[in-house]
Amino acid sequence: MRRLLLIAARNLLQHRGRTLMLGSAIALVTLLLVLLTSVSRGVQDTMLRAATTIATGHVNIAGFYKITSGQAAPVVTRYEPLVKWVRQQVPEARLVVDRLRGWGKLISPTASVQVGVRGVDIDAEPELARVLSIVQGDLRGLRRPHTALLFAKQAEKLAVRVGDTLTLSAPTVRGANNAVDVEVVAIARNLGLLSQFNIFAPKQTVREIYLLKRDTTGAIQLLLRDPSRAAGVAERLRAGLTRQGYRLLDAQAEPFWMKIPIVTREDWTGQKLDVTTWRDELAMLTWILTAFDTVTVVVVGILLVIIVIGVMNALWISIRERTREIGTLRAIGMGRGRVLLMFMLESGLLALGATTIGALLGVAGAQLLNAARIELSPGFAIFLMSDTLQLAVWPRAVVGAAALISGVITCFALYPAYRAARLRPVLALHDVG
Amino acid sequence: MLLFTLAARPALAGLSAAEALALVKVVDERQRNSGDWKGQFFLHQQEKGKNDLVYDGVYFRRDADDRLMIVFVQPRSERGKGYLRISKNLWFYDARIGKWERRTERERIGGTDSNRQDFDESRLAEEYLARHSGDATLGRYRAYVLELRARPGVDVAYPTLKLWIDQDSRNVLKRQEFAASGKLLRTSYYPHWVKVQSPSKGGEVWYPRELRIFDELEPANRTTMVVREVDLRPLPANIFTKAWLEAQSR
Repeated sequence: MRRLLLIAARNLLQHRGRTLMLGSAIALVTLLLVLLTSVSRGVQDTMLRAATTIATGHVNIAGFYKITSGQAAPVVTRYEPLVKWVRQQVPEARLVVDRLRGWGKLISPTASVQVGVRGVDIDAEPELARVLSIVQGDLRGLRRPHTALLFAKQAEKLAVRVGDTLTLSAPTVRGANNAVDVEVVAIARNLGLLSQFNIFAPKQTVREIYLLKRDTTGAIQLLLRDPSRAAGVAERLRAGLTRQGYRLLDAQAEPFWMKIPIVTREDWTGQKLDVTTWRDELAMLTWILTAFDTVTVVVVGILLVIIVIGVMNALWISIRERTREIGTLRAIGMGRGRVLLMFMLESGLLALGATTIGALLGVAGAQLLNAARIELSPGFAIFLMSDTLQLAVWPRAVVGAAALISGVITCFALYPAYRAARLRPVLALHDVG
Repeated sequence: MLLFTLAARPALAGLSAAEALALVKVVDERQRNSGDWKGQFFLHQQEKGKNDLVYDGVYFRRDADDRLMIVFVQPRSERGKGYLRISKNLWFYDARIGKWERRTERERIGGTDSNRQDFDESRLAEEYLARHSGDATLGRYRAYVLELRARPGVDVAYPTLKLWIDQDSRNVLKRQEFAASGKLLRTSYYPHWVKVQSPSKGGEVWYPRELRIFDELEPANRTTMVVREVDLRPLPANIFTKAWLEAQSR
């Protein structure tokens, strides 16, 4: 085996030009795959971070209360016992908080914008202080009633600064119009699309606008230690809530605001709960991830086909050039299996070396791009939820990319290697090349 | 009796709560029609930073059954769209996609500052309790100023209203609508009232020919509603159905 490895390695070195060309191509494809998966992972991480800061937990228990069959409000009544129950049921949650949800019009003397209003208790949400980058004012200002945190883009559109007063106008649960004045206490750096449509206000202010009681909230949000377990936790909570006697909405992978017209049409009154994951709440945006993954698969697929053709072609050439050598080896007693293994090792070695270099270059490239803090155009920034391009190198994805490309190349080398092994020694020795 | 007292009272004297409510009932009664109603309207919405919205349409009412239908006729792109109120439910029909959607009481009709109440029968006395808060002069008119608060358990778009009622004609001259927080949201002016003879009522029915609505939160936004023609003859029985509105766009 060691000898075969040596022959394969020597052969690669002997045909330096061909090896370099093929190796470079393989390394390039690996580099590209690593970079694309890092971008995709980066978008997912950024999206998750922005979403769980602004709009959703990894898992949410929310729902609708219908006073009449024609009026649905996104609220959960008598939520405090539910929070206790959730804490007991989900020990893997690192944070369980409740937030109020609303939709209203934010009006300044010069402009107005429609926004989602997130009612928060700023002291109960340390994550907010960690993730939000405050460019003006102080997040702790949200401890006072009738205050609001805006994002930079909103502040720019409304032409307001910290200390200015805005009017927040919204319909109450019973359909009456209401409005309160709020003081801008902080302006945060934009967090992509979601930050264009959301503001934060203290819980009591949101309750005041919507005329809600103290025992009412919008959603109980769970942040998990391992977000990838969100779907499993949601399923467990659904089963548990049903056993507890709560009425649940049918599971639908849609954000809560898209469910309002559906729920409004349904003929029931009272409370129904809904358990969703962050992916459900961002269903409108996960197409970005799907699009990235599709582009990655298509681009890498095309490149892989080209590389595979190149490797197979190189092996054919190699076999042709070395027909007499194969004949000699077979004549002195080398079995067909070992000839096949020798050629497989040659392509395997080439693939392994090139993908390792490609993967390392990919990781370095990702780090360099992150360090360069490349600014995204406004359109991209909205959808990627970040002002700068952020790549996340995921070791498992890097190893996977290298293994996949090495595996595919080695597999496609099987046929030429098999053909080489099938050469009859007598004919091979008489080959004139 | 209260109405008689109200008529006999000197203009500047303060009104008791019962008298104020009786005055509101007069306002309602003057606009009430016991039969059907068909009116042609024109809506013009001006909103800062947006193109003006202009609509022509027809609205039908059958107050005895709590029914209201609003159908847009112009512009062409909006033709066939409309609202249907049956009992407490307000439905919107989008003729372009042939779909019905349930809407709330606070629906901005056609995206303007007008809402269902501006087209519907005046039911202020049923929905609100009244208090006389003083008298005022609006141009050449002397007016009672009444403060109306929503009756407990009644769902209305504006929990508090302020009405300026002409002391001579008992027509509303001005109306202010407030949020639950007390913030002023909308001011409407009624510069022109018209009366028509109602066969079903056997008397006069008054309606505001023009209504000017000002958004107080965004002062640049305003809506003008003009009711061009009112016909109080009985309407066909099938008008207040979804099928009828759907048929208008076919």
